[in-house]
Amino acid sequence: MSATKPIVHVSNVFKYFGQLAALNNVSLDIYPGEKVVIIGPSGSGKSTLLRSINRLEEVDRGQIVVDGMDLYAKENDINAIRMELGMVFQSFNLFPHKTVMQNLTMAPIRLKKIPRPQAEDNARRLLKKVGILEKAGVYPTMLSGGQQQRVAIARALAMNPRVMLFDEPTSALDPEMIGEVLDVMVTLAREGMTMICVTHEMGFAREVADRVVFMDQGQILEVGTPEHFFEAPEHPRAKKFMEQIL
Amino acid sequence: MPDKQEVRIDVSDGAAIPRKRDIGLFSAWWISLIGALGCIAYLCLAKPEPYLDILKFLPDGILVTFEVTILSILLALFLGLITGLGRISKNRTINLIASTYVEVVRGIPLLVQLFYIYFALGQVFSNLPNPADVAESMAAWPGIIVYVVVGVVGFLKDMPPLVAAVTAMGVCYGAYMGEVFRAGIESIDKGQTEAARSLGFNRRQTMFLVILPQAWRTILPPVGNEFIALLKDSSLVSILAVADLLRRGREFASVTFSYFEAYTMVALIYLVITLILSKGVSAMETRLNYYVRD
Repeated sequence: MSATKPIVHVSNVFKYFGQLAALNNVSLDIYPGEKVVIIGPSGSGKSTLLRSINRLEEVDRGQIVVDGMDLYAKENDINAIRMELGMVFQSFNLFPHKTVMQNLTMAPIRLKKIPRPQAEDNARRLLKKVGILEKAGVYPTMLSGGQQQRVAIARALAMNPRVMLFDEPTSALDPEMIGEVLDVMVTLAREGMTMICVTHEMGFAREVADRVVFMDQGQILEVGTPEHFFEAPEHPRAKKFMEQIL
Repeated sequence: MPDKQEVRIDVSDGAAIPRKRDIGLFSAWWISLIGALGCIAYLCLAKPEPYLDILKFLPDGILVTFEVTILSILLALFLGLITGLGRISKNRTINLIASTYVEVVRGIPLLVQLFYIYFALGQVFSNLPNPADVAESMAAWPGIIVYVVVGVVGFLKDMPPLVAAVTAMGVCYGAYMGEVFRAGIESIDKGQTEAARSLGFNRRQTMFLVILPQAWRTILPPVGNEFIALLKDSSLVSILAVADLLRRGREFASVTFSYFEAYTMVALIYLVITLILSKGVSAMETRLNYYVRD
């Protein structure tokens, strides 16, 4: 894997919230096609790390490079870089004033200048993929949480991103809806999408993750395969965390 | 996910906007409207002279009242949007300018602002050189610039009362509207901005495509309320010899000495207009809620 260039390169990143170091010298390389799951207790900095990859959080020090483009270089347009990164949020954040279809076509039409019929065809294909084609014409508030999250994934995919970022995509869902969202994510993983997921769903991690990254107190403490974490986490805090969530 | 709180911006100086659930206010609305219309009808039938004459004399004034109100609200919306965006701007200077505008305007009574723009600034502007002299002194300049400068000088030098009235009311209400816009924009969940930005929309696109269309739902009721308040305050412009509803009533009264009759009709007509408008605002509010599941 080291022969290819990483698609996301995070090196020596620091981020402070006041005195607190939310990210404390974090480095991580993600290679094309890789699925990485980031775990850790709340406040460990895992969401902050994910959000700094598309610069929703500004880091204080360090370098983040996506697809060869430095996020903080003046010559790079952050909006163009963000188009390469699909983001899925814990709280879905669909646009409530737009229909499901419009949620999916808005960015491609406006930002990629894709003709409307083509954008809508693509949107229908994606809605079919996440199993929610029949809801194309309704407003997001008419959907269940699981349906909204699947639409949100489809919306991110509509921009044809190189990497998908998932920020606790199932944490706000009722238990019976978690499965339908994870199914979509597994399908996506099988298709070879590069994915970085902050999640506590260890079943999902075991099924698709190439690497699991354990974070605590703003630092990456351990990196390994899912099996490694299930069987023999080395770091005491990782061990304790795994005991708590399993 | 934290439940998003429904934000309601209450403005106290407009008309009360009736809400469906609010039975008491609802019936108060009907009593007022039917009462006012009934009074007008009864007075015109029972005593056509002078009431019917007054009713025929006032429509021109109603038109002017609406003209002043609509032009002022358009200016206020424009200034309000800019001010609201300025108030949430991270740029310290822009923020300070917007906040200062709001602070200053809110501290000066509207009537004083009207006097200030029409009489005080009017006096300053009247000292401007003659447009013809300006044209002569600018002979070396390109024609189009001369044309514009001369036009502006001529316009300011002899400022029509309507322009002064609309400027004063627009500037004044723009400050209030700025607060409405600011609160409306801030009422939208931060996740909306993050979702839009993460798709690749820039700040401006995010504001105009995602935030404002949603904020509008929160903004509209107070804007409607401000519109009604503005319509009532527009009676102040009668002092600048703008022939609005109140001014027409006063004209009728001063000729016929029927002060009681004229002002009674003026008051009733204002009441009917604001009652109907407040109903319209609440109807619009309901329509704008189309995507919210109840």
